[in-house]
Amino acid sequence: MARTIKISSSVFGSLLMLPAAGIVGGFIFLPVIQSVYYSFFTFKLTRKKLPLIWNNFDNYRQVWETGRLQNAFSITFQFMLMVVAAVFILGLILALLLNRGRTNERLTRSLGLLPWGTPTVITALLWSWMFQGEYGFINFLLLRLGLIAKPISYLVNPSTALAAVAVAAVWRQLPFMFIMLLAGMQGIPGEMYEAAYIDGANRLQTFVHITLPFLRNVIRASILVTIITNFKQFPLFWTMTGGGPMNKTETLAILTYKNAFVNLDFGVGAAVAAAWMVVLVIFSLVYSRMVREAEY
Amino acid sequence: MKREAQKIAGNAAAVIASIILGLFLLFPIYWLLVTSFKVNMEIYRFPPDLIPRTFTLENYREIFSDNSVMQYILNNFIVAFGTTLLTMTASSLAGYSLSRYPSIFGKIVRTSLLSTQMFPIVGLILALYVIFRNMNLINTRFSLIISLSAVTIPFSTILIKGFFDDITRTLEEAAQIDGCSRLRTFAVIILPLSKPGLLAIGLYTFMQAWDDFLFAVTFILTDVKRTLSAGIAMKFLGEVSYDWAMVTTVSIAGVLPMFILIFLFQKHMVAGLTAGAVKG
Repeated sequence: MARTIKISSSVFGSLLMLPAAGIVGGFIFLPVIQSVYYSFFTFKLTRKKLPLIWNNFDNYRQVWETGRLQNAFSITFQFMLMVVAAVFILGLILALLLNRGRTNERLTRSLGLLPWGTPTVITALLWSWMFQGEYGFINFLLLRLGLIAKPISYLVNPSTALAAVAVAAVWRQLPFMFIMLLAGMQGIPGEMYEAAYIDGANRLQTFVHITLPFLRNVIRASILVTIITNFKQFPLFWTMTGGGPMNKTETLAILTYKNAFVNLDFGVGAAVAAAWMVVLVIFSLVYSRMVREAEY
Repeated sequence: MKREAQKIAGNAAAVIASIILGLFLLFPIYWLLVTSFKVNMEIYRFPPDLIPRTFTLENYREIFSDNSVMQYILNNFIVAFGTTLLTMTASSLAGYSLSRYPSIFGKIVRTSLLSTQMFPIVGLILALYVIFRNMNLINTRFSLIISLSAVTIPFSTILIKGFFDDITRTLEEAAQIDGCSRLRTFAVIILPLSKPGLLAIGLYTFMQAWDDFLFAVTFILTDVKRTLSAGIAMKFLGEVSYDWAMVTTVSIAGVLPMFILIFLFQKHMVAGLTAGAVKG
Protein backbone atom coordinates (compact mmCIF):
# COMPACT_ATOMS: atom_id res chain seq x y z
CA MET A 1 0.00 0.00 0.00
CA ALA A 2 1.37 3.35 -0.99
CA ARG A 3 1.64 5.53 2.03
CA THR A 4 1.51 9.24 1.54
CA ILE A 5 2.95 11.31 4.30
CA LYS A 6 0.10 13.13 5.98
CA ILE A 7 0.88 16.68 6.85
CA SER A 8 -1.48 19.01 8.59
CA SER A 9 -3.18 21.83 6.73
CA SER A 10 -1.31 24.55 8.57
CA VAL A 11 2.05 23.01 7.70
CA PHE A 12 0.96 22.61 4.08
CA GLY A 13 -0.19 26.24 3.99
CA SER A 14 3.13 27.43 5.39
CA LEU A 15 5.07 25.34 2.89
CA LEU A 16 3.25 26.99 0.00
CA MET A 17 4.29 30.33 1.43
CA LEU A 18 7.98 29.48 1.63
CA PRO A 19 9.29 30.45 -1.83
CA ALA A 20 7.63 33.87 -1.80
CA ALA A 21 8.49 34.56 1.84
CA GLY A 22 12.08 33.43 1.26
CA ILE A 23 12.67 35.60 -1.80
CA VAL A 24 10.98 38.70 -0.42
CA GLY A 25 12.50 38.21 3.03
CA GLY A 26 16.00 37.58 1.74
CA PHE A 27 16.12 40.22 -0.96
CA ILE A 28 13.90 43.00 0.41
CA PHE A 29 13.63 42.80 4.19
CA LEU A 30 17.16 41.64 4.89
CA PRO A 31 18.74 44.39 2.78
CA VAL A 32 16.47 47.00 4.35
CA ILE A 33 17.64 45.98 7.82
CA GLN A 34 21.23 45.81 6.67
CA SER A 35 21.03 49.26 5.10
CA VAL A 36 19.90 50.74 8.38
CA TYR A 37 22.66 48.83 10.17
CA TYR A 38 25.38 50.00 7.74
CA SER A 39 24.32 53.60 8.21
CA PHE A 40 26.01 53.65 11.62
CA PHE A 41 29.37 52.46 10.35
CA THR A 42 32.24 53.56 8.19
CA PHE A 43 31.82 51.27 5.22
CA LYS A 44 33.61 51.98 1.98
CA LEU A 45 33.25 49.76 -1.03
CA THR A 46 36.80 50.52 -2.08
CA ARG A 47 38.21 48.18 0.55
CA LYS A 48 38.05 44.46 -0.01
CA LYS A 49 38.08 43.36 3.65
CA LEU A 50 35.40 45.09 5.59
CA PRO A 51 35.77 45.54 9.29
CA LEU A 52 32.78 47.77 10.01
CA ILE A 53 33.81 50.66 12.20
CA TRP A 54 31.23 52.38 14.40
CA ASN A 55 31.55 56.07 13.67
CA ASN A 56 29.25 57.78 16.10
CA PHE A 57 26.62 59.00 13.57
CA ASP A 58 29.29 60.53 11.36
CA ASN A 59 27.43 59.45 8.21
CA TYR A 60 24.30 61.27 9.28
CA ARG A 61 26.25 64.30 10.42
CA GLN A 62 28.10 64.48 7.13
CA VAL A 63 24.98 64.70 4.95
CA TRP A 64 23.18 66.92 7.45
CA GLU A 65 25.92 69.50 8.00
CA THR A 66 26.57 69.99 4.31
CA GLY A 67 22.85 70.64 3.84
CA ARG A 68 22.63 67.93 1.17
CA LEU A 69 20.08 65.87 3.06
CA GLN A 70 17.76 68.81 3.70
CA ASN A 71 18.10 69.88 0.08
CA ALA A 72 17.27 66.36 -1.10
CA PHE A 73 14.21 66.18 1.13
CA SER A 74 12.99 69.53 -0.14
CA ILE A 75 13.55 68.60 -3.80
CA THR A 76 11.88 65.20 -3.37
CA PHE A 77 8.81 66.75 -1.75
CA GLN A 78 8.52 69.51 -4.34
CA PHE A 79 8.75 66.98 -7.14
CA MET A 80 6.27 64.64 -5.49
CA LEU A 81 3.68 67.35 -4.86
CA MET A 82 3.99 68.76 -8.38
CA VAL A 83 3.57 65.40 -10.05
CA VAL A 84 0.81 64.08 -7.81
CA ALA A 85 -1.26 67.24 -8.22
CA ALA A 86 -0.84 67.34 -11.99
CA VAL A 87 -1.42 63.62 -12.48
CA PHE A 88 -4.54 63.65 -10.36
CA ILE A 89 -6.15 66.70 -11.93
CA LEU A 90 -5.32 65.74 -15.51
CA GLY A 91 -6.26 62.13 -14.84
CA LEU A 92 -9.62 63.16 -13.49
CA ILE A 93 -10.31 65.38 -16.51
CA LEU A 94 -9.30 62.62 -18.89
CA ALA A 95 -11.42 60.02 -17.11
CA LEU A 96 -14.45 62.32 -17.15
CA LEU A 97 -13.98 62.95 -20.87
CA LEU A 98 -13.66 59.27 -21.70
CA ASN A 99 -16.51 58.30 -19.42
CA ARG A 100 -18.88 60.21 -21.68
CA GLY A 101 -18.29 57.17 -23.80
CA ARG A 102 -18.79 58.27 -27.36
CA THR A 103 -15.42 57.05 -28.52
CA ASN A 104 -14.11 53.65 -29.48
CA GLU A 105 -13.14 52.68 -25.98
CA ARG A 106 -10.77 49.86 -26.78
CA LEU A 107 -8.73 52.00 -29.12
CA THR A 108 -8.61 55.12 -26.95
CA ARG A 109 -7.67 53.03 -23.97
CA SER A 110 -4.89 51.24 -25.80
CA LEU A 111 -3.53 54.52 -27.14
CA GLY A 112 -3.86 56.22 -23.79
CA LEU A 113 -1.95 53.41 -22.12
CA LEU A 114 1.08 53.71 -24.40
CA PRO A 115 3.04 56.11 -22.17
CA TRP A 116 2.49 53.73 -19.27
CA GLY A 117 4.05 50.93 -21.31
CA THR A 118 7.06 53.03 -22.20
CA PRO A 119 10.03 51.96 -20.05
CA THR A 120 11.14 54.67 -17.64
CA VAL A 121 14.57 55.12 -19.15
CA ILE A 122 13.07 55.50 -22.61
CA THR A 123 10.61 58.01 -21.16
CA ALA A 124 13.60 59.92 -19.85
CA LEU A 125 15.33 59.85 -23.23
CA LEU A 126 12.18 60.80 -25.07
CA TRP A 127 11.66 63.87 -22.90
CA SER A 128 15.34 64.77 -22.96
CA TRP A 129 14.93 64.94 -26.71
CA MET A 130 11.73 66.97 -26.45
CA PHE A 131 13.39 69.41 -24.03
CA GLN A 132 16.69 69.52 -25.88
CA GLY A 133 18.13 73.04 -25.87
CA GLU A 134 18.99 73.53 -29.53
CA TYR A 135 16.77 71.27 -31.61
CA GLY A 136 14.10 70.27 -29.11
CA PHE A 137 10.43 70.29 -30.00
CA ILE A 138 9.32 72.11 -26.83
CA ASN A 139 11.48 75.09 -27.72
CA PHE A 140 10.04 75.09 -31.21
CA LEU A 141 6.49 74.97 -29.84
CA LEU A 142 6.94 77.66 -27.20
CA LEU A 143 8.81 79.97 -29.59
CA ARG A 144 6.04 79.53 -32.13
CA LEU A 145 3.38 80.32 -29.55
CA GLY A 146 5.39 83.35 -28.49
CA LEU A 147 5.67 82.14 -24.91
CA ILE A 148 9.45 82.38 -24.80
CA ALA A 149 11.79 84.77 -26.56
CA LYS A 150 14.79 82.50 -27.04
CA PRO A 151 15.45 78.76 -26.72
CA ILE A 152 15.98 77.36 -23.22
CA SER A 153 18.08 74.36 -22.24
CA TYR A 154 15.46 73.08 -19.84
CA LEU A 155 17.47 70.31 -18.25
CA VAL A 156 20.55 72.44 -17.72
CA ASN A 157 18.76 75.52 -16.45
CA PRO A 158 18.47 75.39 -12.62
CA SER A 159 15.05 77.00 -12.58
CA THR A 160 13.42 74.66 -15.11
CA ALA A 161 15.17 71.30 -14.62
CA LEU A 162 12.94 69.93 -11.86
CA ALA A 163 9.76 70.93 -13.69
CA ALA A 164 11.04 69.32 -16.88
CA VAL A 165 11.62 66.00 -15.13
CA ALA A 166 8.18 66.37 -13.53
CA VAL A 167 6.61 66.68 -17.00
CA ALA A 168 8.20 63.37 -18.00
CA ALA A 169 6.91 61.76 -14.80
CA VAL A 170 3.40 63.11 -15.36
CA TRP A 171 3.42 61.82 -18.90
CA ARG A 172 4.26 58.29 -17.84
CA GLN A 173 1.96 58.15 -14.80
CA LEU A 174 -1.12 59.85 -16.21
CA PRO A 175 -2.44 56.67 -17.91
CA PHE A 176 -2.40 54.70 -14.65
CA MET A 177 -4.37 57.42 -12.88
CA PHE A 178 -6.97 57.89 -15.59
CA ILE A 179 -7.47 54.15 -16.06
CA MET A 180 -8.03 53.73 -12.33
CA LEU A 181 -10.44 56.66 -12.14
CA LEU A 182 -12.25 55.56 -15.28
CA ALA A 183 -12.69 52.04 -13.91
CA GLY A 184 -14.06 53.57 -10.72
CA MET A 185 -16.49 55.77 -12.64
CA GLN A 186 -17.75 52.87 -14.68
CA GLY A 187 -18.56 51.08 -11.44
CA ILE A 188 -21.00 53.79 -10.41
CA PRO A 189 -24.60 52.60 -10.98
CA GLY A 190 -26.35 54.54 -13.76
CA GLU A 191 -29.51 54.93 -11.67
CA MET A 192 -27.64 57.34 -9.44
CA TYR A 193 -27.17 59.72 -12.34
CA GLU A 194 -30.72 59.27 -13.56
CA ALA A 195 -32.05 60.13 -10.13
CA ALA A 196 -29.84 63.20 -10.00
CA TYR A 197 -31.01 64.26 -13.44
CA ILE A 198 -34.67 63.94 -12.44
CA ASP A 199 -34.00 66.01 -9.33
CA GLY A 200 -32.60 68.72 -11.61
CA ALA A 201 -28.98 68.52 -10.44
CA ASN A 202 -26.49 70.15 -12.77
CA ARG A 203 -23.25 68.56 -13.90
CA LEU A 204 -21.12 70.10 -11.18
CA GLN A 205 -23.53 69.02 -8.44
CA THR A 206 -23.67 65.50 -9.86
CA PHE A 207 -19.89 65.39 -9.93
CA VAL A 208 -19.44 66.64 -6.37
CA HIS A 209 -22.26 64.65 -4.76
CA ILE A 210 -22.19 61.40 -6.72
CA THR A 211 -19.00 60.86 -8.69
CA LEU A 212 -16.45 61.99 -6.11
CA PRO A 213 -17.92 60.14 -3.09
CA PHE A 214 -18.19 56.93 -5.11
CA LEU A 215 -14.58 57.26 -6.25
CA ARG A 216 -13.23 57.78 -2.73
CA ASN A 217 -11.50 54.41 -2.43
CA VAL A 218 -10.05 54.53 -5.92
CA ILE A 219 -8.78 58.06 -5.42
CA ARG A 220 -7.19 57.19 -2.10
CA ALA A 221 -5.43 54.12 -3.47
CA SER A 222 -4.22 55.65 -6.71
CA ILE A 223 -2.94 58.81 -5.02
CA LEU A 224 -1.04 56.72 -2.51
CA VAL A 225 0.54 54.71 -5.32
CA THR A 226 1.47 57.94 -7.13
CA ILE A 227 2.96 59.47 -3.98
CA ILE A 228 5.12 56.43 -3.33
CA THR A 229 6.19 56.12 -6.98
CA ASN A 230 7.42 59.68 -7.08
CA PHE A 231 9.02 59.55 -3.69
CA LYS A 232 11.12 56.67 -5.03
CA GLN A 233 11.73 57.98 -8.55
CA PHE A 234 15.25 57.25 -9.70
CA PRO A 235 15.75 56.45 -13.41
CA LEU A 236 14.15 59.66 -14.71
CA PHE A 237 16.50 61.84 -12.68
CA TRP A 238 19.55 59.69 -13.25
CA THR A 239 19.07 59.72 -17.01
CA MET A 240 17.73 63.24 -17.53
CA THR A 241 19.80 65.34 -15.15
CA GLY A 242 21.94 63.12 -12.94
CA GLY A 243 20.96 65.34 -10.00
CA GLY A 244 22.20 68.56 -11.60
CA PRO A 245 22.18 71.45 -12.35
CA MET A 246 23.63 72.72 -9.04
CA ASN A 247 21.90 69.92 -7.12
CA LYS A 248 18.52 71.33 -8.13
CA THR A 249 17.25 67.87 -8.99
CA GLU A 250 19.24 65.95 -6.39
CA THR A 251 16.49 63.89 -4.79
CA LEU A 252 16.92 61.40 -1.97
CA ALA A 253 17.21 58.59 -4.51
CA ILE A 254 19.98 60.38 -6.38
CA LEU A 255 21.80 61.40 -3.19
CA THR A 256 21.73 57.82 -1.91
CA TYR A 257 22.93 56.36 -5.17
CA LYS A 258 25.67 58.94 -5.69
CA ASN A 259 27.09 58.36 -2.24
CA ALA A 260 26.96 54.61 -2.50
CA PHE A 261 27.99 53.94 -6.07
CA VAL A 262 29.82 57.06 -7.25
CA ASN A 263 31.67 57.99 -4.05
CA LEU A 264 31.65 54.31 -3.06
CA ASP A 265 30.79 55.30 0.50
CA PHE A 266 28.11 52.80 1.52
CA GLY A 267 27.87 54.15 5.06
CA VAL A 268 26.81 57.62 3.96
CA GLY A 269 24.53 56.23 1.25
CA ALA A 270 22.87 53.99 3.82
CA ALA A 271 22.36 56.95 6.16
CA VAL A 272 20.48 58.86 3.49
CA ALA A 273 18.46 55.76 2.66
CA ALA A 274 17.59 55.13 6.30
CA ALA A 275 16.43 58.70 6.90
CA TRP A 276 14.42 58.51 3.70
CA MET A 277 12.74 55.21 4.52
CA VAL A 278 11.71 56.44 7.98
CA VAL A 279 10.09 59.52 6.46
CA LEU A 280 8.40 57.47 3.76
CA VAL A 281 6.88 55.08 6.28
CA ILE A 282 5.69 57.92 8.54
CA PHE A 283 4.32 59.79 5.56
CA SER A 284 2.35 56.78 4.31
CA LEU A 285 0.95 56.13 7.79
CA VAL A 286 -0.08 59.77 8.24
CA TYR A 287 -1.63 59.82 4.80
CA SER A 288 -3.73 56.72 5.37
CA ARG A 289 -4.76 58.00 8.81
CA MET A 290 -5.71 61.35 7.29
CA VAL A 291 -7.87 59.96 4.52
CA ARG A 292 -9.47 57.45 6.86
CA GLU A 293 -10.48 60.22 9.24
CA ALA A 294 -11.73 62.37 6.41
CA GLU A 295 -14.18 59.63 5.60
CA TYR A 296 -16.12 59.78 8.83
CA MET B 1 -31.77 78.91 -24.54
CA LYS B 2 -29.13 79.75 -21.98
CA ARG B 3 -28.83 76.11 -21.05
CA GLU B 4 -28.40 75.20 -24.71
CA ALA B 5 -25.54 77.70 -25.13
CA GLN B 6 -23.88 76.39 -21.98
CA LYS B 7 -24.09 72.88 -23.31
CA ILE B 8 -22.41 73.83 -26.58
CA ALA B 9 -19.66 75.70 -24.74
CA GLY B 10 -19.18 72.69 -22.45
CA ASN B 11 -18.88 70.34 -25.39
CA ALA B 12 -16.40 72.61 -27.12
CA ALA B 13 -14.30 72.76 -23.97
CA ALA B 14 -14.44 68.99 -23.72
CA VAL B 15 -13.26 68.58 -27.30
CA ILE B 16 -10.39 71.03 -26.82
CA ALA B 17 -9.34 69.37 -23.56
CA SER B 18 -9.43 65.95 -25.24
CA ILE B 19 -7.25 67.16 -28.09
CA ILE B 20 -4.67 68.80 -25.81
CA LEU B 21 -4.43 65.82 -23.46
CA GLY B 22 -4.38 63.39 -26.37
CA LEU B 23 -1.53 65.30 -28.01
CA PHE B 24 0.34 65.47 -24.73
CA LEU B 25 0.15 61.69 -24.36
CA LEU B 26 0.70 60.66 -27.96
CA PHE B 27 2.73 63.33 -29.71
CA PRO B 28 6.00 62.47 -27.88
CA ILE B 29 5.73 58.89 -29.15
CA TYR B 30 5.09 60.14 -32.66
CA TRP B 31 8.09 62.42 -32.33
CA LEU B 32 10.28 59.54 -31.20
CA LEU B 33 9.15 57.50 -34.19
CA VAL B 34 9.59 60.32 -36.70
CA THR B 35 13.05 61.16 -35.43
CA SER B 36 14.12 57.55 -35.88
CA PHE B 37 13.23 57.77 -39.58
CA LYS B 38 15.18 60.96 -40.19
CA VAL B 39 18.67 61.35 -41.51
CA ASN B 40 21.12 62.94 -39.11
CA MET B 41 21.24 66.23 -40.96
CA GLU B 42 17.51 66.63 -40.62
CA ILE B 43 17.43 65.71 -36.94
CA TYR B 44 19.63 68.69 -36.19
CA ARG B 45 17.57 71.20 -38.12
CA PHE B 46 15.68 73.92 -36.35
CA PRO B 47 12.81 74.54 -36.69
CA PRO B 48 12.18 70.80 -37.00
CA ASP B 49 10.04 69.13 -39.67
CA LEU B 50 6.92 67.37 -38.45
CA ILE B 51 7.21 64.88 -41.31
CA PRO B 52 10.64 63.70 -42.46
CA ARG B 53 11.70 65.17 -45.83
CA THR B 54 13.85 62.17 -46.58
CA PHE B 55 12.57 58.98 -45.07
CA THR B 56 15.36 56.59 -44.10
CA LEU B 57 15.64 53.15 -42.56
CA GLU B 58 19.39 53.52 -42.19
CA ASN B 59 19.17 54.02 -38.40
CA TYR B 60 17.30 50.75 -38.05
CA ARG B 61 19.79 48.94 -40.25
CA GLU B 62 22.56 50.21 -38.05
CA ILE B 63 20.83 49.18 -34.80
CA PHE B 64 19.92 45.73 -36.00
CA SER B 65 23.38 45.02 -37.33
CA ASP B 66 24.86 46.07 -34.00
CA ASN B 67 25.47 42.89 -32.06
CA SER B 68 25.51 44.49 -28.67
CA VAL B 69 22.04 46.01 -29.15
CA MET B 70 20.66 42.63 -30.16
CA GLN B 71 22.35 41.17 -27.09
CA TYR B 72 20.70 43.79 -24.84
CA ILE B 73 17.30 42.96 -26.25
CA LEU B 74 17.90 39.23 -25.87
CA ASN B 75 19.07 39.73 -22.28
CA ASN B 76 16.02 41.83 -21.56
CA PHE B 77 13.81 38.99 -22.77
CA ILE B 78 15.74 36.40 -20.75
CA VAL B 79 15.49 38.45 -17.57
CA ALA B 80 11.85 39.41 -18.10
CA PHE B 81 10.75 35.83 -18.82
CA GLY B 82 12.82 34.42 -15.97
CA THR B 83 11.35 36.92 -13.55
CA THR B 84 7.84 36.28 -14.78
CA LEU B 85 8.23 32.54 -14.32
CA LEU B 86 9.69 32.80 -10.85
CA THR B 87 7.19 35.40 -9.68
CA MET B 88 4.18 33.54 -11.07
CA THR B 89 5.27 30.31 -9.37
CA ALA B 90 6.09 31.82 -6.00
CA SER B 91 3.12 34.16 -5.84
CA SER B 92 0.48 31.71 -7.00
CA LEU B 93 1.62 29.27 -4.29
CA ALA B 94 1.68 32.00 -1.67
CA GLY B 95 -1.58 33.54 -2.88
CA TYR B 96 -3.27 30.14 -2.71
CA SER B 97 -1.97 29.63 0.79
CA LEU B 98 -3.26 33.04 1.88
CA SER B 99 -6.63 32.30 0.31
CA ARG B 100 -7.18 28.74 1.59
CA TYR B 101 -5.01 28.27 4.66
CA PRO B 102 -5.43 31.45 6.66
CA SER B 103 -3.21 31.57 9.74
CA ILE B 104 -1.44 34.08 11.94
CA PHE B 105 1.74 33.44 9.96
CA GLY B 106 -0.21 34.18 6.78
CA LYS B 107 -1.51 37.42 8.23
CA ILE B 108 2.01 38.53 9.08
CA VAL B 109 3.20 37.62 5.60
CA ARG B 110 0.34 39.56 4.02
CA THR B 111 1.03 42.70 6.02
CA SER B 112 4.76 42.47 5.32
CA LEU B 113 4.11 41.98 1.62
CA LEU B 114 1.95 45.10 1.52
CA SER B 115 4.56 47.11 3.38
CA THR B 116 7.29 46.29 0.85
CA GLN B 117 5.64 48.59 -1.66
CA MET B 118 6.90 51.50 0.38
CA PHE B 119 10.59 50.68 0.51
CA PRO B 120 12.63 52.50 -2.12
CA ILE B 121 14.79 50.09 -4.07
CA VAL B 122 17.59 52.63 -4.19
CA GLY B 123 17.59 52.52 -0.40
CA LEU B 124 18.23 48.82 -0.17
CA ILE B 125 20.26 48.25 -3.29
CA LEU B 126 23.59 48.86 -1.60
CA ALA B 127 22.91 46.12 0.94
CA LEU B 128 21.61 43.94 -1.88
CA TYR B 129 24.87 44.55 -3.70
CA VAL B 130 26.81 43.26 -0.68
CA ILE B 131 24.53 40.21 -0.46
CA PHE B 132 25.04 39.35 -4.13
CA ARG B 133 28.75 39.91 -3.83
CA ASN B 134 28.91 37.44 -0.95
CA MET B 135 26.88 34.97 -3.01
CA ASN B 136 29.14 35.52 -6.03
CA LEU B 137 26.15 36.61 -8.07
CA ILE B 138 27.40 40.02 -9.18
CA ASN B 139 27.38 40.29 -12.97
CA THR B 140 24.86 37.49 -13.48
CA ARG B 141 21.45 37.71 -15.08
CA PHE B 142 20.22 35.56 -12.22
CA SER B 143 20.88 38.40 -9.78
CA LEU B 144 18.48 40.53 -11.83
CA ILE B 145 15.85 37.81 -11.97
CA ILE B 146 15.87 37.19 -8.25
CA SER B 147 15.89 40.86 -7.22
CA LEU B 148 13.14 41.75 -9.71
CA SER B 149 11.09 38.81 -8.44
CA ALA B 150 11.48 40.06 -4.89
CA VAL B 151 10.04 43.38 -6.06
CA THR B 152 7.11 41.91 -8.04
CA ILE B 153 6.08 39.00 -5.80
CA PRO B 154 4.30 41.11 -3.13
CA PHE B 155 1.79 42.80 -5.44
CA SER B 156 1.35 39.65 -7.54
CA THR B 157 0.59 37.56 -4.46
CA ILE B 158 -2.05 39.95 -3.16
CA LEU B 159 -3.55 40.20 -6.64
CA ILE B 160 -3.77 36.46 -7.32
CA LYS B 161 -5.16 35.81 -3.86
CA GLY B 162 -8.17 37.88 -4.87
CA PHE B 163 -8.71 35.65 -7.90
CA PHE B 164 -8.42 32.47 -5.81
CA ASP B 165 -10.90 33.90 -3.29
CA ASP B 166 -13.50 34.05 -6.06
CA ILE B 167 -13.24 30.30 -6.76
CA THR B 168 -15.63 28.18 -4.75
CA ARG B 169 -14.16 25.83 -2.16
CA THR B 170 -16.57 23.02 -3.05
CA LEU B 171 -14.24 22.13 -5.92
CA GLU B 172 -11.46 21.26 -3.52
CA GLU B 173 -13.84 19.33 -1.28
CA ALA B 174 -15.03 17.26 -4.22
CA ALA B 175 -11.47 16.61 -5.37
CA GLN B 176 -10.49 15.53 -1.87
CA ILE B 177 -13.33 13.04 -1.74
CA ASP B 178 -12.14 11.67 -5.06
CA GLY B 179 -8.74 11.12 -3.48
CA CYS B 180 -6.90 13.88 -5.28
CA SER B 181 -3.92 15.25 -3.35
CA ARG B 182 -3.89 18.89 -2.29
CA LEU B 183 -1.01 19.89 -4.54
CA ARG B 184 -2.58 18.09 -7.50
CA THR B 185 -5.93 19.73 -6.86
CA PHE B 186 -4.21 23.10 -6.94
CA ALA B 187 -2.29 22.38 -10.13
CA VAL B 188 -5.00 20.59 -12.10
CA ILE B 189 -8.23 22.23 -10.94
CA ILE B 190 -7.58 25.60 -9.35
CA LEU B 191 -4.79 26.99 -11.54
CA PRO B 192 -6.60 26.50 -14.87
CA LEU B 193 -9.61 28.33 -13.41
CA SER B 194 -7.47 31.34 -12.47
CA LYS B 195 -6.09 31.97 -15.94
CA PRO B 196 -7.17 35.64 -16.02
CA GLY B 197 -5.43 36.21 -12.70
CA LEU B 198 -2.28 34.45 -13.83
CA LEU B 199 -2.30 36.49 -17.00
CA ALA B 200 -2.70 39.71 -15.01
CA ILE B 201 0.25 38.99 -12.72
CA GLY B 202 2.32 37.68 -15.61
CA LEU B 203 1.81 40.88 -17.58
CA TYR B 204 2.44 43.06 -14.54
CA THR B 205 5.68 41.23 -13.76
CA PHE B 206 6.88 41.21 -17.35
CA MET B 207 6.37 44.95 -17.63
CA GLN B 208 8.16 45.63 -14.36
CA ALA B 209 11.08 43.44 -15.39
CA TRP B 210 11.24 44.99 -18.87
CA ASP B 211 11.39 48.42 -17.23
CA ASP B 212 14.31 47.60 -14.94
CA PHE B 213 17.20 50.00 -15.04
CA LEU B 214 18.50 50.28 -11.51
CA PHE B 215 19.36 46.63 -10.90
CA ALA B 216 20.98 46.18 -14.27
CA VAL B 217 23.05 49.32 -14.01
CA THR B 218 24.26 48.30 -10.53
CA PHE B 219 24.78 44.54 -10.72
CA ILE B 220 25.86 44.03 -14.32
CA LEU B 221 29.42 44.90 -15.22
CA THR B 222 29.96 43.49 -18.71
CA ASP B 223 28.32 44.44 -21.97
CA VAL B 224 27.28 40.89 -22.94
CA LYS B 225 25.01 40.58 -19.91
CA ARG B 226 23.58 44.07 -19.94
CA THR B 227 19.84 44.59 -20.43
CA LEU B 228 18.20 47.16 -22.66
CA SER B 229 17.67 50.21 -20.44
CA ALA B 230 21.10 50.00 -18.88
CA GLY B 231 22.63 49.21 -22.26
CA ILE B 232 21.10 52.24 -23.96
CA ALA B 233 22.23 54.47 -21.13
CA MET B 234 25.79 53.12 -21.22
CA LYS B 235 26.23 52.95 -24.96
CA PHE B 236 24.42 55.89 -26.46
CA LEU B 237 24.45 58.57 -23.82
CA GLY B 238 27.72 60.40 -24.17
CA GLU B 239 29.06 62.88 -21.67
CA VAL B 240 28.50 65.91 -23.86
CA SER B 241 26.12 65.16 -26.68
CA TYR B 242 23.79 62.31 -27.47
CA ASP B 243 23.53 60.52 -30.77
CA TRP B 244 19.81 61.19 -31.13
CA ALA B 245 19.31 59.12 -34.27
CA MET B 246 20.57 56.01 -32.48
CA VAL B 247 18.86 56.85 -29.18
CA THR B 248 15.44 57.30 -30.75
CA THR B 249 15.79 54.21 -32.92
CA VAL B 250 16.84 51.93 -30.10
CA SER B 251 14.06 53.43 -27.97
CA ILE B 252 11.50 52.40 -30.56
CA ALA B 253 12.93 48.88 -30.43
CA GLY B 254 12.55 48.98 -26.65
CA VAL B 255 8.95 50.18 -26.53
CA LEU B 256 7.66 47.99 -29.33
CA PRO B 257 7.26 44.77 -27.31
CA MET B 258 5.37 46.69 -24.60
CA PHE B 259 3.09 48.36 -27.13
CA ILE B 260 2.27 45.01 -28.68
CA LEU B 261 1.41 43.62 -25.25
CA ILE B 262 -0.84 46.61 -24.56
CA PHE B 263 -2.74 46.23 -27.81
CA LEU B 264 -3.19 42.50 -27.26
CA PHE B 265 -3.90 42.38 -23.56
CA GLN B 266 -5.06 45.80 -22.40
CA LYS B 267 -8.21 44.32 -20.90
CA HIS B 268 -6.25 41.96 -18.65
CA MET B 269 -3.73 44.62 -17.75
CA VAL B 270 -6.45 47.00 -16.71
CA ALA B 271 -8.15 44.24 -14.73
CA GLY B 272 -4.90 43.64 -12.89
CA LEU B 273 -4.27 47.31 -12.28
CA THR B 274 -7.69 48.11 -10.98
CA ALA B 275 -8.53 44.89 -9.12
CA GLY B 276 -6.84 45.89 -5.90
CA ALA B 277 -7.96 49.48 -5.71
CA VAL B 278 -11.54 49.21 -6.88
CA LYS B 279 -12.34 46.33 -4.55
CA GLY B 280 -10.49 47.65 -1.52
